[in-house]
Amino acid sequence: MSIEAEDVAALLEEVGQFTQGRIAEAVMRPENPLPNKVLEQLTGEALELGILPAPTREAGFGLWEAYHQPHIMRFNIGVLRLVGSANAGIAFAWHRQALARVLEREMGWTPAFEAGAVLGVTMLPTGHYGLGRTNLARWLGGRVPEGDEREILQDWLDRTSHPTILTAPAGWNSLLWPVWRDDRIGWERVSRAALNVGLCSAQHGLDELSTFQMSREGERGELCFPLPDMARQLFARVFKMDMIGLLAIGAGAITRAWNMAKDYAGIRQQGGKLIGRHPAVQQMLCDVELCRHSVEQALLVCERPVDMLDTNEVAAMRARLSGLLCQAASQVVQVFGGLGYMRDNGAEKILRDMNMLKAQTGGAWDLRSFVAGWCGDFA
Amino acid sequence: MSATGHLQDHLPLTHPLSPRSRYGGLPILSRLFLDYEAGDLWQEDTARLPGGLARLRQKARAFAEQHLAPVSAALDLAPHLPPGECHPAIPAILAEAGRQGWLSYLLPPPMGSMSFRVATCPPIWQCCVVVEEFSRVCGGLMLLLSAHHLGTMPLLLSGSMSTLLKFLRPVYQSCLRGQPHLVGFAITEPGAGSDAEEGHGAAVYRPGVVAKPVAGGYLLNGRKCFISGGDLAKSVTVFAALQGEGMESWTCFYVDNPSPGYEVTRTELKMGMRASGAAEIALKDVFVPHERVIGGLRNGWALNRASLNTSRMPVAAMGVGFARAATEEAAAFARTYRLGGRRLIDYQEVQLHLATMVAETRAIRSLVWQEARHAWRPRQLYASLCKFQVTDRAQLVCEMAMDLLADHATLHENRVERIFRDVRLTRIFEGTNQINRLSAIEDWQGELLGNHPNNFTLGV
Repeated sequence: MSIEAEDVAALLEEVGQFTQGRIAEAVMRPENPLPNKVLEQLTGEALELGILPAPTREAGFGLWEAYHQPHIMRFNIGVLRLVGSANAGIAFAWHRQALARVLEREMGWTPAFEAGAVLGVTMLPTGHYGLGRTNLARWLGGRVPEGDEREILQDWLDRTSHPTILTAPAGWNSLLWPVWRDDRIGWERVSRAALNVGLCSAQHGLDELSTFQMSREGERGELCFPLPDMARQLFARVFKMDMIGLLAIGAGAITRAWNMAKDYAGIRQQGGKLIGRHPAVQQMLCDVELCRHSVEQALLVCERPVDMLDTNEVAAMRARLSGLLCQAASQVVQVFGGLGYMRDNGAEKILRDMNMLKAQTGGAWDLRSFVAGWCGDFA
Repeated sequence: MSATGHLQDHLPLTHPLSPRSRYGGLPILSRLFLDYEAGDLWQEDTARLPGGLARLRQKARAFAEQHLAPVSAALDLAPHLPPGECHPAIPAILAEAGRQGWLSYLLPPPMGSMSFRVATCPPIWQCCVVVEEFSRVCGGLMLLLSAHHLGTMPLLLSGSMSTLLKFLRPVYQSCLRGQPHLVGFAITEPGAGSDAEEGHGAAVYRPGVVAKPVAGGYLLNGRKCFISGGDLAKSVTVFAALQGEGMESWTCFYVDNPSPGYEVTRTELKMGMRASGAAEIALKDVFVPHERVIGGLRNGWALNRASLNTSRMPVAAMGVGFARAATEEAAAFARTYRLGGRRLIDYQEVQLHLATMVAETRAIRSLVWQEARHAWRPRQLYASLCKFQVTDRAQLVCEMAMDLLADHATLHENRVERIFRDVRLTRIFEGTNQINRLSAIEDWQGELLGNHPNNFTLGV
């Protein structure tokens, strides 16, 4: 079952109605984090509507269930943009859940599912810190790691020596993450009960979710190590989908922030005129608009089959744009002035959420090394 | 690093090609100019300060580390409380801060606690040194302790000895006895934003808090908001227009809390600096006698702007404190966290990142100290440019720390995310950084327009 190109607009319209009607209503008070129960309820509704992939072996037309056609990529990006515009935390949870379902199917695993735990499965595409400097890119490019390179990749995905950080819905019970063996990245599905899981204090943003530090003590979950070329292709695919998803959520969140700032600039008086008529405010609004356009252009580029997208191009886009999204969100806070700093306003939450998105998947900073590593053996 | 240890791709300090190992072997005259002991950067900066100020810096750091640091994280995570309530740790901290003189150090004895050894340095410089130390450890408690000085500023600047003796002295003495008496500074009004901080806006702003003349004094009516520490303040310097007049009539009134008709109506749930409340107050026919008019009728606008000129450099110093804390946290992480069997600090890209962070931090501190050391009569241009430049750069340093820690930065336990939330406010309060840019130009316009005689070229 798949989506026809001519259906995408109508489907996104439906998602938009659900987003505005159900999610936006549930998160109206940005200072009050969404209770986990409500998050699960919304997730159940999204599952019923087919927005999220159902825990079955057969692919439907939910988020990320297909990714080999441009119009389906437009749908995937569109869903995350719409949900992200209402709430980045919910969008992030659904994005990671959908990617976990993709991986389960790729591995041929029976979908992990417990009745009543609609947000039970999640995934993490990276290791305990960064992106392994230049070495992940070089491995993805086909190089067989040696010496330090091998040591770094092995250590990067070592799930016993270093705690790994996970941001996910409070009730997750099954996790998929990459592991390293014989110069290959494979995937492991591990149950929460098999891990040492520590709940962290309230994290920086994405208040709807929780953050955990986890490590494993010997016992392994289900493992799958594809052949080397397949392993590279699969990791690159998931890595790209994750980065595109993070950008799409950011695009939605910044659009919402942009609308908030515009609306405010059109009603707030300062110095006898609307603040939107002051060049100081116009310049900040312009920064936000420039960012929005840049991200939307990048996402247009991503409306291609995932396997045809250049990994480095996606990584470079994320390296450039995730910082820009944070700066734009910060400018929105600045447009609001003191009000923007208060939690009931909502602007500061978007800034914190944007910082969280930037820090995911190894963070944006190590992407510079990744991009350099992709450029060739000199790196 | 130990004397024999070294970072990856760097020569040990004892290596024959390490310049520092060779300076000691040069002739004595050369050594006089070239050889140096490389010490801790904070210690070296402290040693460059005048003696009294260096001592103050050490004391402030010790107080911050002993009394503020242990409760900082808990206060940030504590639930938001209704007006009139505060975290149980706060009264003890305020009492100790008062006893140690941190709430009264802008004047020497017999009024306050300023050491005579620092009396030759501008109080603003002293304040900047203290604020940096407090900010480094806890943004919220720093604000609670510092906003008090802004509240007292109109009293200090009033030019009236009787005001100092009658109102400020009891505040200082009470604090020194360990019975903290905080003073709030109330300028912002719910509909005003930066109009209270910028002349062009004030010229067309219709004042929200109005003072009506009555027998023996005035009745104040209206609302003020975003008063840092205003929920715990025992008195507040309130700026109000005289009835029927505009902002040019702004007058400063010294109002006690409680007073009949005075109510703290709410405190804001903030992004950061959560140990300090941002209060809104409602004034309903609050009677203020004539003797509590501070600095004279219709002098409030000048007092307000002068108070901001004194406070904007300390706000810049907050930025320095946050940038320093972020740099210290990032360095600590890089020194201990390992990837591929090596410390992060051994990787060149991490070294480049930290080098930029420490350079940025020291650059903004230099700017603050450069302006503050001459700030006996703080010029608006210097105060404003210092505030916006330093706090903008400080946020950048905090972002760099978050970048380096990646997802580890999102953990409350790693402090960096809290420092980011704290530093974000410094670009907003005391006039947004946009308002401060315009404020700098407002003050510079005489030179920009060449109004001074014999002014052929513009000095920068």
